[in-house]
Amino acid sequence: MSRAASDVVSTDAMLVSAIRSGDQTAMAEIYDRHSNVVYSVALRILGDTGAAEDILQDVFMQLWRNPRAFDANRGSLPAWLAVISRNRAIDLLRKRRPETDIEEIVVNVEPDMVRGAEWSLLLGKIRGALAGMPDAQRLALEMSFFEGLTHGEIAQKTGEPLGTIKTRIRAGLIALRKACTR
Amino acid sequence: MNAHEQFADDLALLALGTLDGAERVRVEAHLRECAACRGELERLRGDAALLAFSAGGARPPARSRERLLAAVAGEARRAPAPRVRRRAWWSGLQWAAAAAVLAMFFLLVRQNGELKQRVDQLAASSASEQQQLIQARQLITALSDADADHFVLVSSKTPPQPQGRAIYLAKSGTLVFLASNMPALPPEKIYELWLIPANGAPIPAGLFRPNAEGSGSVVRPPLPVGVEAKTFAITVEPKEGSPAPTSQPIMLGTRG
Repeated sequence: MSRAASDVVSTDAMLVSAIRSGDQTAMAEIYDRHSNVVYSVALRILGDTGAAEDILQDVFMQLWRNPRAFDANRGSLPAWLAVISRNRAIDLLRKRRPETDIEEIVVNVEPDMVRGAEWSLLLGKIRGALAGMPDAQRLALEMSFFEGLTHGEIAQKTGEPLGTIKTRIRAGLIALRKACTR
Repeated sequence: MNAHEQFADDLALLALGTLDGAERVRVEAHLRECAACRGELERLRGDAALLAFSAGGARPPARSRERLLAAVAGEARRAPAPRVRRRAWWSGLQWAAAAAVLAMFFLLVRQNGELKQRVDQLAASSASEQQQLIQARQLITALSDADADHFVLVSSKTPPQPQGRAIYLAKSGTLVFLASNMPALPPEKIYELWLIPANGAPIPAGLFRPNAEGSGSVVRPPLPVGVEAKTFAITVEPKEGSPAPTSQPIMLGTRG
C-alpha cells in the first residue's frame, strides 16, 4: 500500500474514532468528504432530490449514532457509506422496510482503489469497465444494483434465462473488480 | 462443481440484496459454515460499491449539510459511545478491584507482621513462665520432699520446739505449710491444719503426718479464693480428718 493510501484510510478511521467520542467537527469533515457519493447513489436510484436528501441524512445519522458499525480494518468508509445509501434507497424505492442492519454490512474494497489522489482515475476505470461490457451484461448489473430487481424480475423483463442473468450479474461485478485492481 | 462454485452466482445476488426465498436461506446456511464464501461476499459488496461510485457527480444542496449538523448537535453525546462507557465502567471496576487487592495485600502484610510480633512476645512470655514454673516446682519439691533435710536454728540453749511456717496468698487461695519437730502421733490420729478467717468458722487446710524427724508439710490444699486469714492453727484429729476442729489447737500462728 502506498503512503498516500495509508494516510487516507487512517484519516477516515481517525475521524470515525473521533465521532465515537462525540466529535461533531469530525462528523462535518466526513460529510464534506463523502456526501457526494452517498447523495449521488440515492439520487440515481430514486430520481428525486428530496428523497435523496432524506437518504443522505439517514445514512450519516446512522454513522453518528452507531459509529462502531464501521470497521476500518475491513473496508473503506466511502464504499461502506455508498453500499448503505444504495440499500436504503432500494428499500425506499421498493417500499419495504430496511432488511439489513448496517452492522452486518462489510464492504471489502482494496484501499488502493479509493485513495483520494486517484479518485478520478478510479472513476475512469469504473466507467471504462462498464462501457466495455456487453450491453446485456451492463443492463442486468444496473437493473439489479440501481433498481433492486431480482434476477427473476430481470429475466422476466429481458426474456433471458434465469441462470444467464445470474451469471451475467456476477461476471459484471468481477469485471469491475479486475478493471480497478489493474 | 464444488460447493463454492455452486453458490458463486447466488453470492453475487446476495451482495446486491436481490436474493430471496429458498435460495437465500440456502446460501446463508452455507455462509455460516464457510469462511471463504463469507470473504467472497465481502469482496462482491466491494465490487458493488464500485458500481455505486459510477453514479458519482451529483452534489447535495448546502441545506443538507446544515440539516445534518443540526440533527447531530441535537443528538450530541457528552459521553463516549455505549461500548466505550462499558469499557470505562469495566476498566474502572478492574482498577478498583486492583486497588482493593493492593490495599488488602498491605493490610495483610501489616497484620502478619503484628501477629508475628505478638507470637514472638507470647513465645518469650511462655518460655519465661515455663522457666518460673520449673523453678516453683523445684522449690516446692525441695520444701515438701520427705528426703529433704530441714534445719531449725534456735538459740543454742533452747531445746528444739515444734514449729510450723505457713505461707499464704489469699487472692489465689494458695498455701504452703512446713512443720518441723512435730511430736509423733498414734496411727489413728493426724495433724489437721486450719485457716482461721477474720470472720466465720475455721476452714480445713490439709492433713499431715510428720516423718521420723518430725517434719511435715501441706502444699496447695483446696481452699476458697480470696479469704483473708486471721491466722492458722493445728489440731489433732482422727486419721481421716475432720470438717471442723474437734479439739483445742496445739499450735496457733502469729504474723511474722
